[in-house]
Amino acid sequence: MPFQWPWQYDFPPFFTIQPNLSSREKQLEAWARLIIDYCQFHNIHSLDLNEVAKSEIFNNTRINRSLNEAGIRTVFDYLEEKEHIEWTDKTKKRCRIYWRRPEEWGELLYEWASSNGLLNTVITLTDIIEGEDTANESFAGLEKPILIRAIESLQSQRRAVLVELNNEIGGVKFL
Amino acid sequence: MASRRRGIGVGAVQRNQQIQAKFAAKGEELASEQLQRLSQQLEIFTQRLEEFARKHRDEIRKNSQFRRHFQEMCTQVGVDPLASSKGFWAEKLGVGDFYYELAVQIIEVCLSTNHINGGLMSVDELRNRLMKSRSRTRKEAISQDDVIRAVKKLKDLGHGFKLIELKCGRYLVQSVPRELSKDDTQIWQLAEENNGYVTAELIQQKFSWDTIRTSSALEKIVKDGMAWVDNQTSDNMTYYWFPALFFEQFNQISSSDSISGSTSSANY
Repeated sequence: MPFQWPWQYDFPPFFTIQPNLSSREKQLEAWARLIIDYCQFHNIHSLDLNEVAKSEIFNNTRINRSLNEAGIRTVFDYLEEKEHIEWTDKTKKRCRIYWRRPEEWGELLYEWASSNGLLNTVITLTDIIEGEDTANESFAGLEKPILIRAIESLQSQRRAVLVELNNEIGGVKFL
Repeated sequence: MASRRRGIGVGAVQRNQQIQAKFAAKGEELASEQLQRLSQQLEIFTQRLEEFARKHRDEIRKNSQFRRHFQEMCTQVGVDPLASSKGFWAEKLGVGDFYYELAVQIIEVCLSTNHINGGLMSVDELRNRLMKSRSRTRKEAISQDDVIRAVKKLKDLGHGFKLIELKCGRYLVQSVPRELSKDDTQIWQLAEENNGYVTAELIQQKFSWDTIRTSSALEKIVKDGMAWVDNQTSDNMTYYWFPALFFEQFNQISSSDSISGSTSSANY
């Protein structure tokens, strides 16, 4: 099944950043949702703005509309604000994209741990991401940096603690 | 004779009283007979009504023409079967239930689409959506008349709903309070006839408004969120698109086949 574009994608003014603030809010929300869904569908975890500016996401040839550089910048500022992306370079051209915000992943992880009787035991991050027991979980195959960010958000709520193994972060204990 | 001259006497009074009492008794007898007959008739009448109601209950639910006819009859008689869902007609015929349920569904549809169309939807579109959501549970047809009546009821009950009349007997349902001026409605209609968008030039061409009126009208619809701005047109004019109209069209296309790619290339 091919990617399902939302109705906004074929709506010509979608590619013009709206002057009216409440319309713009709706527009940016729709752009954010589109980018996140697209990345999830294609299993994309990081983006390069120079490349993505040429992709079909921001260029709808069927209706002859494109989102320009300034528009793309606005959309990514919005994504950053909503904590769905994190810049990985100083020029803000490359970023990691989180289909789910770190807090959301954190919740899912905690729920999994507590419903599997794994609280207060150390679990390796590798087991979480690549283990047999978690193969069917939504976080299977999650990238390590994102997993760590997720656990960090739980850590700030005192619901988990990262554990060092062999001098690097390798495990977690859900409390 | 002496007795005749003494007509008014105790005896006569007593006799009068007796006669009156007999009349009274007879009157009561007659009255109670009549009452009995009347109540018998009422009982038969009620039974017939209930039979009628039972027989036609299904029809009321299935047949929108019958419903309309019934409503018109009631209006003539001065009865409003929708006034209370507990009234005789409503109860027996299920009319009240039908419109009550419809009204609830209308509220649901509007609540779920308001963020896109800003609380404005044509009766056509509303009806389509209602039919779509109903087909999962039952196949009753809903007519435009049904929708309009239900919305009017909602309006009376103060739910913030309003019917806006366009030309040619068409209506818009407004479910979010907003100030829609006549100019706004005219522009909406123009957009409907023009693939969902308008331009300043088109407005001036069709309505002969001056520049000030045109630009303040356009400013208003953008400010209201009714229209979005498109600056990438091939003819260098700003196009003002209506998300509500586009969304309507989009839904009609997508309900028949897949999204984005099913329609031919558009030239804007």
